[in-house]
Amino acid sequence: MSTGRTIGWSVLAVVLLVPAWFLGYHFTNFIGDPVEVVGALPAFLTSGDTWVNVGISVARVFGGLLAGVVLGTAMAFAINRQGLLKETLTPYVTLALRTPSAIAAIVSLSIFHGSEIGYVAVVAYVTFPYVTTGLLDGLRSADRELDQMAQIYHLSTWAHMRHVLGPFIAPYMFAALRNAHALAWKIIVVVEIFGAATEGFGIQFSYAWEYFRILEVHLWLLLFMAVVLFAEYCVLRPAERRVFRWRDAR
Amino acid sequence: MSDIVIRVDDLSVSYGNVPAISDLAFNVRRGEIVCVVGPSGCGKSTMLNVLSGLLPPTHGSVSVNDQVLYRSGQPLPRLGYVFQTHRLLPWRTVRQNLELVLAAAGIPKAEWDGRIRSLLDVLQISRFIDSWPMRLSGGQRLRASIARALVIEPSYILMDEPFSTLDEVTARTMRHELSSIVARTRSTVIFVTHSIREAVFLADRLIILTRSPARVFEEKVVDIERPRLYEDSRIGQIEAEVVERVLDAWGLDDRKRAEAA
Repeated sequence: MSTGRTIGWSVLAVVLLVPAWFLGYHFTNFIGDPVEVVGALPAFLTSGDTWVNVGISVARVFGGLLAGVVLGTAMAFAINRQGLLKETLTPYVTLALRTPSAIAAIVSLSIFHGSEIGYVAVVAYVTFPYVTTGLLDGLRSADRELDQMAQIYHLSTWAHMRHVLGPFIAPYMFAALRNAHALAWKIIVVVEIFGAATEGFGIQFSYAWEYFRILEVHLWLLLFMAVVLFAEYCVLRPAERRVFRWRDAR
Repeated sequence: MSDIVIRVDDLSVSYGNVPAISDLAFNVRRGEIVCVVGPSGCGKSTMLNVLSGLLPPTHGSVSVNDQVLYRSGQPLPRLGYVFQTHRLLPWRTVRQNLELVLAAAGIPKAEWDGRIRSLLDVLQISRFIDSWPMRLSGGQRLRASIARALVIEPSYILMDEPFSTLDEVTARTMRHELSSIVARTRSTVIFVTHSIREAVFLADRLIILTRSPARVFEEKVVDIERPRLYEDSRIGQIEAEVVERVLDAWGLDDRKRAEAA
């Protein structure tokens, strides 16, 4: 299917939410009027406060994801070397995978006294095991024939990583990154609420809900969806297409 | 520098208690094409691993240009390798695949483009210089793989049944081309194959191995002028002679087995 058609179907899927929204508005008392929400959007989107809150949450997600990817990648390489590192690090990955997000949030915010590092740390803690397990699968299935070729032609460790191993594990990395990215957005909202942050998506959404400001709830929800979809379709997917452009040649 | 590029002396390799190669000894001279034939599982791949610097011998030695391999502090030799499968990086273009080995071999960047273009011209794939390997046919990928081996001007080139996955017509074309390219570049080649006819067609000298553990059963100079024709009756005659001689040594002589029964 062409890119244009793919995007067309995705847009249609989102547009189908509009009639569902109208139905919801008519039959419930907690879903706002779509017309009213759309009418309030311009003022909401031109407010500086809105983007400050968005920026803070995006920065927390980005920082946490970056730390999660770095930590997860290092753990994957360490565990893949077998031996003592594998035995000592594997339980940490399992533990992180199984920890409920809310508990991770409370513990992290307690340790860092609600500071910014606490928000970043909890996102990193929740996302790194997904990066580790995803990359480990890639490392374990690495192409030994290409490794041998690299050895015979005396490729340096850096050249081997960059041109042989890196591209080979890239699909695993992207799969892990997409999971981690989705998780990061889910967790940041929870953490901002638990941490009683003063700024950020989560806390603004929570305030609006607490005081039953339905219009605001919808505005924050719409913006949240837009930011997440932007990150997915305008950052992750184009990056993926560029990295895997050689596959289109098949 | 002596005329001998590779000297294999009393080479033995064992996997645990199982010997794969035993007392193997031969030399390869500069600019020579030596074809190694042997039955399946006789230790040819093990021999190539030792010659390529991947597997240290259990006993004996391999020298390249009078430098003993696997001696600590000894730099590894610059060699080209054409594998059974192309082993090109599918996420790098043909040019990038070649540039990668040029960089690893320490060839000055100023020489890269000239070397790449002239080799791809000779191998008739210059129009694919910026193509992804997956866009190429099996024969074109093999040509790119040969270009990768030649572009660094190696001390020697190892070839491990490179034509075994091609259709017969493409394989014949490639054999002719390889023969003329090697003659033109005066490369030293060790070519491992199952096909005795292919070996006779390509080789200046044949090294016939025994069953496992591999040792040299016989060496035979192929005294036919170049360029050769694959259909040349003299090639067929040498092939028949070699087959006749190895049947017993490789344990494949049905007539003798039938007589014994």
